[in-house]
Amino acid sequence: MTAALEAQALVRILPGDPPITLVNDASLTVEPGTFTAIVGPSGCGKSSLLYLLGLIDRPTSGKLLLNGSEVSDQDGDARARLRLEHFGFVFQFHFLLPEFSALENVALPIRRLGRLDHAGAEQRALDLLKSMGLEGKASKTPDRMSGGERQRVAIARALANDPVLVLGDEPTGNLDSQNSARVVELFKDLAHQQGRAVVCVTHDLEVAAQADVRVSMLDGRIVDIARN
Amino acid sequence: MIERLPLLFGIAIRHISRRRRQTVVAVSGVAVGVGFFLAVSAMMIGSQNDFIKTLIDAAPHIIISDELRSPPPQPGFRVFPDSAVVLRNYKVRNEVRGLRNWPAIMRAVNAEPGAIASPSLSGAVTLHLSGREEALNIIGIEPGIETKVSTIEDKLRIGHLRDLETVQGGIIIGEEMAQRLGIGMGDIVSATSGAGTTRSLRIVGLFKRGQSQLGPTSGYVLLREAQSMLGRPFIINRIGVKLADPYQAQDIGRRLEARFAYKAESWQERSADFLSLLVTRNVIMYSVVSAILLVASFGIYTVVSNSVADKRRDIAIMRSIGFSEGDLQIVFVAEGIVLAVAGVLAGWLLGYGLMQILGSLEFPIVGESEHLPLDRGPRQYAIAASASLFAGAIAAWLPARKAARVDPVDILRGAV
Repeated sequence: MTAALEAQALVRILPGDPPITLVNDASLTVEPGTFTAIVGPSGCGKSSLLYLLGLIDRPTSGKLLLNGSEVSDQDGDARARLRLEHFGFVFQFHFLLPEFSALENVALPIRRLGRLDHAGAEQRALDLLKSMGLEGKASKTPDRMSGGERQRVAIARALANDPVLVLGDEPTGNLDSQNSARVVELFKDLAHQQGRAVVCVTHDLEVAAQADVRVSMLDGRIVDIARN
Repeated sequence: MIERLPLLFGIAIRHISRRRRQTVVAVSGVAVGVGFFLAVSAMMIGSQNDFIKTLIDAAPHIIISDELRSPPPQPGFRVFPDSAVVLRNYKVRNEVRGLRNWPAIMRAVNAEPGAIASPSLSGAVTLHLSGREEALNIIGIEPGIETKVSTIEDKLRIGHLRDLETVQGGIIIGEEMAQRLGIGMGDIVSATSGAGTTRSLRIVGLFKRGQSQLGPTSGYVLLREAQSMLGRPFIINRIGVKLADPYQAQDIGRRLEARFAYKAESWQERSADFLSLLVTRNVIMYSVVSAILLVASFGIYTVVSNSVADKRRDIAIMRSIGFSEGDLQIVFVAEGIVLAVAGVLAGWLLGYGLMQILGSLEFPIVGESEHLPLDRGPRQYAIAASASLFAGAIAAWLPARKAARVDPVDILRGAV
């Protein structure tokens, strides 16, 4: 089976005096249908690796293969297009656009991709919100929703264009235990029931314990990859 | 890209609708700029058009006179154009002044589509009345033709040009001259020409005061009366030409001059100094209003710049979910364009209102009530709109470039 994403010796160095090495020689394979957790102490480079995997940041060296094709050398517009089509992001802070309703936030990537018309995009967004148990909140703006609701809207938005990869940067970091458990269940469902590759940065060992693969990092390096 | 514009403009509108106070200030700035541009340019261009119309209508569009632009060539050169011979001390024949072969010139002018030629003869006479003498330049005309060529008829306070044909020895003079001589309608005045001929002339009409184009020392008589009084039978020294399109005057004048050698002066040539003054006036006007519009665009720059600063996190989010740098640039340029469009629409209304107010004002000029001449054509609306949209787009483009360059990683890492 082709890996959804394959990182080969990724290095990310922030230029400066002295230069700072964020990620050092990180190699990782992410399979479809698996829930991968990246763990490690604060500042070990977990989020930096996730941004490299999600094509938000560019590696200083190394290769990144998406569905077997190298994408690390793509230009900005091509990377934006790949993010739109193949990736869904969920962050610690919901990062919803405050001027837009839940429905509009979820419809935004669908409308940008342009495969559905306006009505089609809104219908898909509504379906996703329903699947998150948020059908009654579609017209609400983020400031009128609870933290857990916002995070579920953010997950719905991440799934808007039916991505192969869902990347989460501490997605439960700002939630209470009940909402946190619900989000983890959603992520497991995305991987196991829907066959997506889910990669999640977390410092919560309970979350990491529920992942299929646990990647441990220290000082920018991957020090261990373990299957649960 | 076009299919993305509704989405990107929608985001832009949502951004600025959340910043009401700044939006109102920026839109008001553009509106005031556009409104005053429209009002000022309506006055300036209106008065310019009125002035040019006055210039065009004041006298015939082309005046062919018995003058030559340069002295005639020496007889030797006329016979031997390529010779190296120069004749000195030859005696110049004293030619009779006047347009020679003028019926041919008249025919040539009348052959031009829509052109009318009016012959006239002018000369100096002295008016005598009760021991007072006043110099007068009499102009002999054919009233039936002259009314078609000039606006003299409109400038008469009393009488008609046609009265010159019905009253034997009729003359039309200005009100100032009549006042100086103490005469009025129907009075008789004695006139003596340089040729020694003396005639009794009856006042059949008076010009209004302040007609600088006619001159207070000019008087109109019948052409054959002038020819007789000045001792120049069958001679004319001027042909006035009216054209269907006054702006053809220079070309047609040049053609007539090339053909008949007599000076054919167009209204543009006669008014060259005024016309160049108008160009300077327009440059000043457009510079001032451009500055107003430029200042208005600073408001747009401020709003968009603040928007970019406030929306750095949203920019990072949009970048991470797949919006390109170009998309973000369009969003913020669209903010500027939306503000400019709103400002232009409000400015059009303001300008229209100002023009209505200006147009309703009355000014007493030489005893008559006059309105400001205003140009209310769509051209100025289009200029104001395009200048504002351009300025708005440029003002927004500068911060939009900055927005597009925002590195999402920096924002996402530092986000709280």
